[in-house]
Amino acid sequence: MNQEYDMKSMVTKIKALRRNAESLKEIAGDFPTVIKNCDRILANVHMLEINVSDAAEVMGK
Amino acid sequence: MSNGVYWNPVLETMPREKLRQLQLKKFREIFTWAYGHSKFYHQLYSDAGIEPGDLKKFEDIKKVPKMEKAMMRSVQGPGKPNYPYGDILCVPLDKVTDYRQTSGTTGQPVYQADTWQDWEQGTEAYCYAMWAQGYRPGDRVFLPFGYNIFIAFWAYHYAGEKIGCEVIPGGVLNTEARILKMQELRATAMGATPTYILGMAETARGMGIDPPKDLFIRKITVAGEPGGSVPATRQRMEDAWGAKVYDQVGSTEIGHWGWQCTHQAGLHVNEAMYLIEIEDVNTGELIEEPGRRGKMVVTTFGRMAQPCIRFDVKDLIQWNARQCDCGRTFRLLDGGIQGRADDITKVKGVLLSPLAIEEVVRNTPQLGHEYQVVVTKKGDIDDITLKVEILPEYRKDEAAIKAKLTDQLRLTTNLGYNIEFHPYESLPRSQTKSRRFQDLRPH
Repeated sequence: MNQEYDMKSMVTKIKALRRNAESLKEIAGDFPTVIKNCDRILANVHMLEINVSDAAEVMGK
Repeated sequence: MSNGVYWNPVLETMPREKLRQLQLKKFREIFTWAYGHSKFYHQLYSDAGIEPGDLKKFEDIKKVPKMEKAMMRSVQGPGKPNYPYGDILCVPLDKVTDYRQTSGTTGQPVYQADTWQDWEQGTEAYCYAMWAQGYRPGDRVFLPFGYNIFIAFWAYHYAGEKIGCEVIPGGVLNTEARILKMQELRATAMGATPTYILGMAETARGMGIDPPKDLFIRKITVAGEPGGSVPATRQRMEDAWGAKVYDQVGSTEIGHWGWQCTHQAGLHVNEAMYLIEIEDVNTGELIEEPGRRGKMVVTTFGRMAQPCIRFDVKDLIQWNARQCDCGRTFRLLDGGIQGRADDITKVKGVLLSPLAIEEVVRNTPQLGHEYQVVVTKKGDIDDITLKVEILPEYRKDEAAIKAKLTDQLRLTTNLGYNIEFHPYESLPRSQTKSRRFQDLRPH
């Protein structure tokens, strides 16, 4: 791999995405579209976690 | 957006010792999840006296009991909890968003539950494959498959969208209509079973359409049957379409764990998302070295609704000694899926793999794509009949072709066959998984 990636910053921003989506869901009350779109966002955040955050963790970054 | 070689340049080139660390971390996570959320897995592991704290190092993974399809079936179905999934389910039923089932080729189907996150993960795994096969935004991808209860090419559809390709669902159209639609829309890629890919080319030619010349397909992903990793079959497909053909392997219970990249050097295992172990069929010993065939045991990382942990698939595989020129550190399998442990059968006292016959048939240019192998018993003696289609222009050469086939089959399989020639296009064709091997001996 030639290019270096700023894994640390990406991990920080992925954590923020999760926090934001979870807190949005929390305040949504009985608002189906917000809840269900947050679920979709969180599923995609998880894809970022398995692709970036987990990799960063084992690489010590 | 970068058009780089890798979908994930970090994971796909990760040093192997780091990949091992990642696999241990992910194995612990899915094991702990299943232990805590599925009665089926909790019972299985409690009976074996193993719990999450016991998984301290990579070698501890082999202490975890394996699971088989029959075990899944035994806890699923009517009268069982969490209908139809049974106690293997790890989430409440209202978290399940997707149902699929196995084809039931080897018995009662397995019902597979997925949450949306699981479904995303299956899509993600397929993105690794398609990106490695050169799919990019701008590709116009045609899917000639029946969108239904089987996993088939669903993930290919979603992964195509995610990558940014334009996806054309060719669902309920018949083969002729699909060909005309591909021509009209100038589709550049498609995914189907090897049998259907070969059959479509035959149909196209019957319509006066020569696929390499009159269509625009330049990439094909095949799955569902081993043909994509059988060199003679892949060559036939590539010649018939004027396209590169790439194998992709997976299953309903596991997901999409392996694929050929554009170098076609073997099947890459997506080791960031799956753990593939190879086990000696007789001793159960784990095989790490290349070139020794064994049974595949697979774990899917992070599939939460219905985990797949140390699943004894009974597919036969072997590691390849090569490192692929693509630069990925994911290990390669040699020759893809080389058969099923329960397909390898003794005939006249000799172990016979149906795939060995396919390689001979598809390497014989005077024959059509289809074939069937039927094993019967005449008195106390096993009898094998190979049914093949002879191309019309070679009917006059039947005797010579038969002699050549007999020699090749004896060399490859150490067995003698009754060879039956059938008219071209007369043997059954299938759009889904083809079963070409019939063992009709009384058991």
